[in-house]
Amino acid sequence: MNSTSSEAGKTTDYSPEQRALVLRLRVYINLRWLAIPAIVIATLVASLIFHVGFPTLPVYIICAIIAGYNFWLFLLARGLEKQEPDSVVRKAEAYGYIQVVLDLVMLTAIIHFTGGVENPFLFLYIIHTNAAAIFLSKRRVYILTTFAMVMVTALVLMEYRGTIPHVNLEGFVPPDRYKDLGVVISALVALVTLAYATVYVATAIVGELRRRQREVVVLKDQLLEQRKVELEQISGEVVKLVEERRRFVRFLSVVAHDLQSPLVATQSLLSYIVDGYTGEITDGQKDLMQRGIRRIDGLLTLITDLLDIPRIEAGQLNREMREISLNDVVKQATDGLDNLARQKGLTLRVELPESSPSVYASNRRLQQVVTNLTSNAINYTREGTVLVRAADGDNEVRIEVIDSGIGVPPDDLPRLFDDFFRGSNVGAKGTGLGLSISKRIVEAHGGSIWAESPDAETGKGSKFTFTLPKNRALVAEK
Amino acid sequence: MKQRPKILLVDDDVDLVTVMRGALESKAFEVIVAYNGLEGLEKAKKEKPDLVVLDILMPVADGFTFADQFRKDPSLAKVPVLALTSFSESLGQPFAFDVSEYISKPIKPRDLVAKVEEFLKKAGK
Repeated sequence: MNSTSSEAGKTTDYSPEQRALVLRLRVYINLRWLAIPAIVIATLVASLIFHVGFPTLPVYIICAIIAGYNFWLFLLARGLEKQEPDSVVRKAEAYGYIQVVLDLVMLTAIIHFTGGVENPFLFLYIIHTNAAAIFLSKRRVYILTTFAMVMVTALVLMEYRGTIPHVNLEGFVPPDRYKDLGVVISALVALVTLAYATVYVATAIVGELRRRQREVVVLKDQLLEQRKVELEQISGEVVKLVEERRRFVRFLSVVAHDLQSPLVATQSLLSYIVDGYTGEITDGQKDLMQRGIRRIDGLLTLITDLLDIPRIEAGQLNREMREISLNDVVKQATDGLDNLARQKGLTLRVELPESSPSVYASNRRLQQVVTNLTSNAINYTREGTVLVRAADGDNEVRIEVIDSGIGVPPDDLPRLFDDFFRGSNVGAKGTGLGLSISKRIVEAHGGSIWAESPDAETGKGSKFTFTLPKNRALVAEK
Repeated sequence: MKQRPKILLVDDDVDLVTVMRGALESKAFEVIVAYNGLEGLEKAKKEKPDLVVLDILMPVADGFTFADQFRKDPSLAKVPVLALTSFSESLGQPFAFDVSEYISKPIKPRDLVAKVEEFLKKAGK
């Protein structure tokens, strides 16, 4: 799998080394465009301003030739872009080689037509060989350097021996300097020494740089590979966790069902007797059986609550979340509690915004929270009103449950939402899990819940508030 | 009453069945019992009940499977179905089937009878 992916990568991506090679080729082509006017200007300055006498036409012709092959190289380099990396490297190297050879030949020609050994620009060979050292292999650079040195030595010696004509730079150097063996040899020795010495230094530096570049590439590949392996491991673990979590929730469903089924059946059997289907029973018997029913109710609630906690924590709510109307949730939750309030002689008032805000939430679980807060309020209020108020805000919706009841002692406030916490002034009613579950539900929706007692507005009772973010992303993030 | 309305009870819990059957029979309903969804489907097709009381969580074929197949039979398409859910079961998941009403467990026999009568009346039986 690894090898196929890296091979697939090769056809589309260049390695940094390959990219550098193509880039350098282009840089040299651009430099050559600059070199041509530079030669022309130098020739014009030498002949027109310094009045150095030499035939300029051959120089211009050579410039034209350079322009010609540079254009050809330009086209070749552009063609490289569409080719496969492997052949790009080979071709870029070949083009590089060819252009250096051409440049060296052209330089030799110019030198020949501009005074041979007498021309101080003889040392331009060094620039060419060093330029070659930057992107050609060491071996090729030495071959090219040797080729250049042989060429220039041959030129200078042939001019010295008179095999080919010598162009004198009139008014710049004495006419016979090229025949002075001392001058010829010292110039050649200096040139050759400098050429090889600089090429040696350049190839050493370039070699070192290339080695490091390769190391970086190898290191990068290793890191990427390592990262990939790590990522695969992690995503494997995530998949396992998700699967375990799903299995856990399924397990809980079975546990819930199996724990509750016998209780539900027992309760129905008792109700069957209490409801008189099996014949008349005495009030005493009825009372005892109703107590039994109530105890089973308590146990069923406890089981539901206990199993709710891991279900909520396992993220079951996320699957139940939809865009729902907040008003509907509050209405559905409070409708069922009207009776309870009336039985206690309390007024249950519900205030809702005119147009219902929509929230991304689990309908059932939000109802559970509203029901929990409201029934607590009803249970702990002897007289007066329980107010359930929903309000729409810019970023969040807010639901408040305000009662005029016994309130929460200050010491209890911080622990109110803890598991199994029961208020010190309410007796041992309930499982002590209602508020902690409500907190979990609200927080699973990205919201927050808190209590104040006494309520700041009425100065009595207590106020429970929870908020839910309206931004769906904030909910999903949780 | 023209004829005794026929109620199909689909539930795997023998004790619950005893209670529900007793309560319904005391009201002179004819009660047919099936202990799983598959059996329920067979009996529904054969007996053409006027109303179905259906437990959702059952072995072999649960209420979802039953409900899915049940409505496909044109003669049963309009029959009211009362689904029993225990309160820890997820009501948040929409049931892809039009259940007439959910009754949450634990079941009070009187409440069940009242619901059954209400829906039979609605259905014109």
